[in-house]
Amino acid sequence: MNRFRRAVMWVGLTLIILLILASVYGAFLGAARAKEFFNSLPSAYYWLSLALMLAAGIAVFRRLARVPALGLIHLGCILILGGSMWGSNGGHRLQKKILGIDKIPEGQMVIFEGASENRVALKNEALIKELPFRIKLNDFRMEYYKPEYLHVETHQGHSWKIPVEINAEYSLGPDFGTVTIVRAFENFKMTIDGDERTVIDDPRPGYNPALEIQMKDPKGDIATEYVFERSGGHVHPEDKFLLSYHRTVRDYVSELQVIENGEVVAEKNIEVNHPLYFGGYHFYQHSYDDQAHQYTVLNVVSDTGLNLVYAGYLMLCAGVFRHLWLREFKFGTRKKRSE
Amino acid sequence: MGIKYTIQGLLIYAAIGAYLAAFVVALPGWRKVGHLLYVFGFVIGCVAFGYRWYSVRHVPMQNLFEVFLCMGVIIYPVSLFCRQRLRVGGRCADMLIGAIVLFPAGFVFSARPQQLPPALQSWLFAPHVAVYVLSYVFMAKAAFQAVSQLASTSADPDENLLGPEEATYRMIRAGFPLLTLGLVLGSCWGKLAWGDYWGWDPKELWSLASWLVYVGYFHFRYMFGKKHARINSAWAIGGMVVIVVTLLWVNLSRLFSGLHSYAT
Repeated sequence: MNRFRRAVMWVGLTLIILLILASVYGAFLGAARAKEFFNSLPSAYYWLSLALMLAAGIAVFRRLARVPALGLIHLGCILILGGSMWGSNGGHRLQKKILGIDKIPEGQMVIFEGASENRVALKNEALIKELPFRIKLNDFRMEYYKPEYLHVETHQGHSWKIPVEINAEYSLGPDFGTVTIVRAFENFKMTIDGDERTVIDDPRPGYNPALEIQMKDPKGDIATEYVFERSGGHVHPEDKFLLSYHRTVRDYVSELQVIENGEVVAEKNIEVNHPLYFGGYHFYQHSYDDQAHQYTVLNVVSDTGLNLVYAGYLMLCAGVFRHLWLREFKFGTRKKRSE
Repeated sequence: MGIKYTIQGLLIYAAIGAYLAAFVVALPGWRKVGHLLYVFGFVIGCVAFGYRWYSVRHVPMQNLFEVFLCMGVIIYPVSLFCRQRLRVGGRCADMLIGAIVLFPAGFVFSARPQQLPPALQSWLFAPHVAVYVLSYVFMAKAAFQAVSQLASTSADPDENLLGPEEATYRMIRAGFPLLTLGLVLGSCWGKLAWGDYWGWDPKELWSLASWLVYVGYFHFRYMFGKKHARINSAWAIGGMVVIVVTLLWVNLSRLFSGLHSYAT
């Protein structure tokens, strides 16, 4: 290796070591501050230097051109760096300046059930921008793992995990009697008129899941109780049991339609891991109205630079496997051992 | 830390016992008996893994308990593959590694079954974790060979096997593509689940750091070959240290809360 190439290698190695140190430092900062750190101006210079260094490596080392797998690895890294820089906030600003393309890099939109929306609140900026199409939310719902459970505990430390099955009687043993779950509510409401209490599952907007249960003690006396998911564990000193109602979320689902020029042009039920893709943007299930389940919050992310990044990933993986595995297996040991 | 008085726990303890017995027997030279015990430990490990899979009804790679259980199982096939195909020894050490990685599963981490949160319900979940687990086992073997190189001892006196420096290199060659694939699959999954292919989360950054240490190793070794064998070994050991931080410290320490915190 001549001195020039050796110098290039040293610079490359230095950049690698710098990135190792920066990654460790960034890990201590936490995601938000690390993102700021790696998107700062000095970091931008670093990324640019790294990309240029990789390009210089390909130009200087003939081996990278001669061994296609090595070329793929280094070219893949350049594409990943290029694609991520092109898709960054700075990249979007540059596109607007040079190409006149004005895309929203990343933001959030709140959509109520039955309504459509095209306004996006930009992330990290107090700005609202509009999409050239509208997104309509037909329904938002949460799905839960079955069975759901009622937890019963005593002050003495006994506990039971009872699957929610309507009208099934569950024995707590001879000392504690039985529990029967009589009814499950999605939106529990109670009206009190004099001595009369009426409970209903209110179909109007609201979210208050609850169970109506009957507890029969060993003497045969029955007491009706209500257990609420959102105020689990609430107990009076005279209560014999601590009751709580647990459900584990399986998924969050927003039923969406894309409306362009007054017509529905796309539809999708988006869930975590299943975003909607339309018009150069991905729409992700991000958050929801935890009080009444009346609206959903979508994360809107531009796809700028994404194909370059994915192409880079593909090249990097293909190159690494080709170079380190296939060549390795080709020179398998069996032949050598038999020699 | 506690003993698990369950079928799951007993299976893990039996596998640990078999691996340790294999190590104790194989070390002084009773290799055939040691190998039989090693195979026995592997079979019990497989049963423990299958039992866990059946209990939780999803691929058991969700938390540290399941990941360490998985590592304790795949150590045997990796060991066999390395010896047969890659001429890399260290079988005795692998037996010990098997017992060591099963120890936290048996005594430290909670085995309480958990349902998969929405973010983990992806086709990328199993391949992402599996390739990482596999790569970590290769890198652990690489680190062992590197330590042998630094200590100037050969892990296995078999003439057909490679020396420690060459074996370290070969192990890293085997593990690095998997490490790369794990990183890329994780990035693609992050894009699908959270909207970002790179979120600058502590776990992501430590993963990147571990990947970069091996990138550094390859570049350094390309520059100097075996001339600075001890520095090559130091890179390999450094990579393993960063992997341990990525796998354990990030999930267990409060210093690094982030999107991957559920994996404890």
